Amino acid sequence: MHIDACAIYLVNESDGLLHLKAAKGLPEKARHINLQIGQGVTGWVAQHGTSLALSEAMQDPRFVYFPEIEEEKFNSMLSVPIPADCPTLGVINVHSIARRMFSLEETQVLETIAGQVTGCLRNAIQFHQNQMTLKEIQILYDISLAVQSTLKLEHGLWIILSAITMGEAGGFNRAMLFTLGEKNQQLQGIMGLGPDSHEDAVRIWTELDKKKGNLLQWVINEAQRDLHRDSQFHNFVCGLNYSVIPNDNILSETVLQKKPFNITKAREHPLVSQEFADALGVDSFATVPLIAHEEVLGVILVDNRYDQKPITEENLRFLARFTVYASWVIENSRLFSKLLDTNRELLSMKEQLVQAERLSALGEMAAEVAHEIKNPLVSIGGFARRLKDKMADLSQKWGDNEDLKSAANYSDIISGEVERLERLLKNTLIYSKSGAIETEECQLNKLVEEVLYLFKAGLYEKNINLITSLEADLPLLNLDQQKIKQVLINLFYNALESLTLGGLLKVETFQEDYAQKQKMITVRVEDNGGGVPQEVFENIFNPFFTTKHTGTGLGLSICRKIIENHGGTIRVENQLGKGVTVYLHLPLQNSPDYYKN
Amino acid sequence: MKTILVVDDEQNIRFLYKEELEDDGYQVTVASNGEETFKILDKQIPDLIILDIKMPGMDGIEVMRKIKDEKGDIPIILCSAYGQYKQDFRVWASDAYVVKSADLRELKLTIKEIFNRPKVNGPGQNDPSNY
Repeated sequence: MHIDACAIYLVNESDGLLHLKAAKGLPEKARHINLQIGQGVTGWVAQHGTSLALSEAMQDPRFVYFPEIEEEKFNSMLSVPIPADCPTLGVINVHSIARRMFSLEETQVLETIAGQVTGCLRNAIQFHQNQMTLKEIQILYDISLAVQSTLKLEHGLWIILSAITMGEAGGFNRAMLFTLGEKNQQLQGIMGLGPDSHEDAVRIWTELDKKKGNLLQWVINEAQRDLHRDSQFHNFVCGLNYSVIPNDNILSETVLQKKPFNITKAREHPLVSQEFADALGVDSFATVPLIAHEEVLGVILVDNRYDQKPITEENLRFLARFTVYASWVIENSRLFSKLLDTNRELLSMKEQLVQAERLSALGEMAAEVAHEIKNPLVSIGGFARRLKDKMADLSQKWGDNEDLKSAANYSDIISGEVERLERLLKNTLIYSKSGAIETEECQLNKLVEEVLYLFKAGLYEKNINLITSLEADLPLLNLDQQKIKQVLINLFYNALESLTLGGLLKVETFQEDYAQKQKMITVRVEDNGGGVPQEVFENIFNPFFTTKHTGTGLGLSICRKIIENHGGTIRVENQLGKGVTVYLHLPLQNSPDYYKN
Repeated sequence: MKTILVVDDEQNIRFLYKEELEDDGYQVTVASNGEETFKILDKQIPDLIILDIKMPGMDGIEVMRKIKDEKGDIPIILCSAYGQYKQDFRVWASDAYVVKSADLRELKLTIKEIFNRPKVNGPGQNDPSNY
């Protein structure tokens, strides 16, 4: 085949134009040629996917003249598409100075070559994509390492926002982070990262350019400096707070629909208020939810305020990947602090319970001793009184006598001291009864839920499946909330301790009748932890046995005391090999007066 | 002369009650447990029984039930070192409940009050609101 020039045009992915990628026999300046699909002969071939052989190329109506190619030198051209499924990858052109017709064979040869080029190109594109993915993975890996370098929530989040805004990675101009309050359902801005102004943007980007190659170390160092707190943008974000309400604002919608939004015309968007758009100062931005365990933890908002680059789908995909890290950082930190809190709370409650149990065991002993002391005291005091009476009789018989007076005085002292001891014992016994409960009307279900909340992290960690079935609209009960909480904590604690390999914890509340006339409310706590050995079960209500046995005890004796002080009863069913079920029965009516003394 | 039977496992308490009540003009017999009580009751029925609750073997509440079942409605005062039995519904079957003290005035007042009660053979006597 006699030809004088050859050129390969390829479709550029980002602008969709045909770029001249390689040429032979064409002037250097031709390298800058970009054609639209459909423009000129080459564009036509790309558009239609069919070859075109022209002996008088410049005469063809599709011909468009580009001075850079100096096409006036050539007369004939053959243009074949580089085939691909769709769309065309590009076009190969050959030109000849001599006017000639390209034969069918020549066309076929070039088409075959174009086919080969497709293969090469596919490999090259694949290679390029792999390279990109590799780079992306490298960045993600760097960031994840950086995130792991700190336990501080703030540092972790700063690293992630840095990645989102760094040119090499996310490339967004600014990023804002909002967290969702677990209880109040409010989105609170907690961090903003980005330049405060155009000048600032330029300065930061120049600085960042110098850090290339040592991204990881730089990010870690920078995170520890806490400098971001001084930024105006950060403070602006921290002042933002939105309630999560359906159809109200774009941040809420991101939370509720659990999906990203790419907003291009903010001022026309129904979910973006004028005020919000003005505060951001942009017309385009994107939001992504932070999700962990299917729960939305917050929202990240990004924009390109300073270079005004449009946010592409590719950008968003990259962002989505980063938000996974952000979600885990937040979730970990939340779980960690929750774990610390609940552990602390549980420990102190448990400690109180153990303390109470020891006191109660002591109290029982004291009561026993006091009882033994009382009878001799009655004798001592009784006879001292008799002695005094006898002295009085004698002095009547014998008249005044100093010795008799002294003896009467001594017996006075004895009976006075006995009286004192009797009073003391009475007070001690009232105290050691420790039945002092301070009740107020409350919802039992609420108490159960509050205590279960404390165990949330523990249950999750031990892989225990919690099933609750709390009867709605239970009547209010007069309870000592703190004490009933102690009882519940103790029961759940025991269940958890038996469920070392995970399992099931079932908590129910319901109202039922006792002996067909008394109304009561029952709390049922069931576990499938295999039950307790018979000899332990027989002693579960014995404070001495349990405290000696395990060091802390099962705490059930104090639980029983508390429940009995509420006029209720506690019942335990033990099925060896299956589990333990505890029933707390609390009476609905007030206990009769004679119970309270 | 009114007769009183004092049942208590503590010898000195029995002695104290006996001395004090005899000084007040009652005729007093004593028993240290349930078994002795019934031996005495087989021979003679007193006008009043003072029963300690906490005793080895049969406790005072049991003894009382047996007396009421087998010997008829003899007035009974239950005694204990502390007031912990007040909420026990079985105690309500007694005619009075007194917490032991070196000061015997409350016991003596209760005895007088029981002897002065109009003799009624009905459930009203056991009404817990009486004390």
